[in-house]
Amino acid sequence: MYVNEKLNNLLKRVEKPARYIGGENHIVMKDPADVKARFAFAFPDLYEIGMSYMGLQILYNIMNKKEDVYCERVFAPAPDMAGLMKEEGIPLFTLETKTPVKEMDFFGFTLQYEMSFTSILDMMQQAEVPMLSADRGEDDPIIVCGGPCAYNPEPLADFVDIFLIGDGEESLPKLMERYIEAKEKGLSKREFFELIAGDTGVYIPSFYDVKYAEDGKILAYEKNYEGAPDRVQRYIIDDIEDVPFPEEPLVPLIETVHDRSVIETFRGCTRGCRFCQAGMIYRPVRERSKDKIMDLARKQLASTGHEELSLLSLSTSDYSQFEPLAIELMRECKAQNVSLSLPSLRLDTFSFNVLEEIQGYKKSGLTFAPEAGTQRLRDVINKGITEKDIFDAVEQAIELGWKHIKLYFMIGLPTETDADLDGIADIARRIVEIHKNSGKGGRFNVTVSVSNFVPKAHTPFQWAKQDTTAEFTRKHNYLFEKLKMKGVTFNYHDDSVSTLEAIFARGDRRLSSLLLEANRLGCKLDGWSEHFSLEKWHQAIENAGVDVDFYTTRGREYDEILPWDIIDSAITKKFLLSEMEKATKETVTPDCRYGCRGCGINARTTCKLGGIYEQ
Amino acid sequence: MSNKYVIKFAKEGYIKYTSHLDMLRLFKRAFKKCGIRLAHSQGFNPHPKMGFAQPLSLGYTSRCELLEFETMESQSTADLKEKLAAMMPMGIEILAAAPLNVSAKSLAGVVDEALYKVVFPVDASSADFDKIVADYLAQDEILAEKRQKKTKKMATVDIRGKIRKIAVGEGERLTLMMNLDCGSISNLSPEQVIASFVKFAELPIDRYDIEVERLEIMFEKKAGIKLQF
Repeated sequence: MYVNEKLNNLLKRVEKPARYIGGENHIVMKDPADVKARFAFAFPDLYEIGMSYMGLQILYNIMNKKEDVYCERVFAPAPDMAGLMKEEGIPLFTLETKTPVKEMDFFGFTLQYEMSFTSILDMMQQAEVPMLSADRGEDDPIIVCGGPCAYNPEPLADFVDIFLIGDGEESLPKLMERYIEAKEKGLSKREFFELIAGDTGVYIPSFYDVKYAEDGKILAYEKNYEGAPDRVQRYIIDDIEDVPFPEEPLVPLIETVHDRSVIETFRGCTRGCRFCQAGMIYRPVRERSKDKIMDLARKQLASTGHEELSLLSLSTSDYSQFEPLAIELMRECKAQNVSLSLPSLRLDTFSFNVLEEIQGYKKSGLTFAPEAGTQRLRDVINKGITEKDIFDAVEQAIELGWKHIKLYFMIGLPTETDADLDGIADIARRIVEIHKNSGKGGRFNVTVSVSNFVPKAHTPFQWAKQDTTAEFTRKHNYLFEKLKMKGVTFNYHDDSVSTLEAIFARGDRRLSSLLLEANRLGCKLDGWSEHFSLEKWHQAIENAGVDVDFYTTRGREYDEILPWDIIDSAITKKFLLSEMEKATKETVTPDCRYGCRGCGINARTTCKLGGIYEQ
Repeated sequence: MSNKYVIKFAKEGYIKYTSHLDMLRLFKRAFKKCGIRLAHSQGFNPHPKMGFAQPLSLGYTSRCELLEFETMESQSTADLKEKLAAMMPMGIEILAAAPLNVSAKSLAGVVDEALYKVVFPVDASSADFDKIVADYLAQDEILAEKRQKKTKKMATVDIRGKIRKIAVGEGERLTLMMNLDCGSISNLSPEQVIASFVKFAELPIDRYDIEVERLEIMFEKKAGIKLQF
């Protein structure tokens, strides 16, 4: 069996060498000579993280179904491997054929979180591909990006040739067809970009020049190529029932974050939480039928030998046929001796029965995400969960023997005061009390996890201010004192990371200088606390001359041109604006299954679940 | 009669970089995919009755690995071989399957010797390696560094008594065939022999360019093991 000698030597010197070898069950092996387009699908984080991401499996499957396309994978090497590769002069390579990525036609990144941006630049460097689009030539791969962070693509605009906005299952294969067409015609890169500039979901940032006002705000986006659209429409697949979903997913040889079969039940969400980007950009709700889900579950379990099955959606219980689906899945899993994991259940009686059935004596913690500590603030963010919901469910949970309750909150939300923080402590205290009064005794623990609000593009809160890093720290200290209670554990996120996330979440093109500086100073794998360096980031911000407050603590004017206005998510600005206004008035907008709220999505596609429960 | 079986398999190519625990997971999934139900231990946390006769170190190749297991239902060995072979990733080859009719509790308990082939990135004719090996073995004691299991500290131990035989093998590159103690009673890792030999022979080479293959796993004579592949 052929093993590259240089690589063979390196693999003996690194931790978890199996991250770099490929060879998993269901890997797709093709002869590169037989295909017309080679695509390196890059996940800008370690193998174990990337391989737990379903989107990779979906697109890998779809792309490789195309005879003339070969999609291979590449992940960020851990620092030990990256260092040795540099020393030995081995450029970043694909797992499938160990081909240097720089020889591929496309180098595609999925943008899942802002803190992975530095890893993208680092991977380009390791691949020996020039980072700036302007520096790349005809022989360099085309850099393409997609995923949720592509909804504000601007911080990466100078590095990326093509952003694909929206559902990738159709737009990415289509892009490959267009590329092959262009290649056969002998078009240059520029001509290829012009060819596809009008395709739905395609954003070519180099076709636009941005003009800024003296105060730093955007004056205008000016097209430098007439064929580019005024706004890029998100690619929407109307019906996902027949969109291919992996029946034979790759099964990693080493343990990853999640080693389990996963079936996506539906895309989109109707709840309308005002801070939530996923709840806006994946509209409308599109479901797979119950039969399809069962069929996929059986096939995946049979082809992988996995011992766990989980469902993927933004809110498991919101599936319209949830009860019959859960019952059928439980039956199937029991028969196959597979454990069933149902994340983010709404805690009603039915869910408790399901949890009792699937977890029995091995109860994991029970999770709630009230997100805010008072009803007032929950109304502001439109999180439709009441104290009664929480405490009724907790009572039931304690009765059934749960010993661990996990609560998720966000701090720094618009209009928040210390009274809302007191509310967080109050909920924790009352849960401990409910347990005490239940007479159940024994060990009991409440975990309060607090994350920091990061305003996101294409949400009603896209205009909102973010707290300063110092204010986050003060609030954490405040909560720390308030939550000094027996049986309560308090976790919180790093404040400065939240500030950095916010810079990029609403940032513009000028941030490319910050990313270049961060890259030059060695920032990468910033999602890992052991690799993250605040000193380097401070230095990079200083060197690049970035005004942090301009991006984070500054509220945006309603009439301000926002960097992500170039992307049309199909949710109207008018809707987002009215939601922001309602937030300041503490007015809720009910779930749109009880009546259409006019978000605008039905102007582009059929919204099947909108208003289904309307009287 | 119990449904105990053993399979012999090869591990070659890049997959040699998966650990023995990952290999166990791989086989567990493979059995599940084939619909072969493994017997489980009793107790609160039952685990499948399956294990390697001897774990193979990360980075070593082999064509003689043994996996022993017990199934719920009786199986035909031809079926076992065929079904499992279809489930294996690149680099793992199922070579044979056989019923395991031994008095010993497990193969793992009666392993006592293994043969390794070690290839050094050194021209075999660059020195008289037969003599160097003989001199190496003629030492009163052969000291090697070994990390203590309990204290995690490095300690110097004499490994001479655990080396059964070392012969120079065929090949353009220096190749040593090493018979070493192996198993639960006395065990010697090829790593310690390699390190001490490289030092003794003053070879200017890097450990990471040395390749190790396991050629054979042997059992205590008195256990009377004969695998019927």
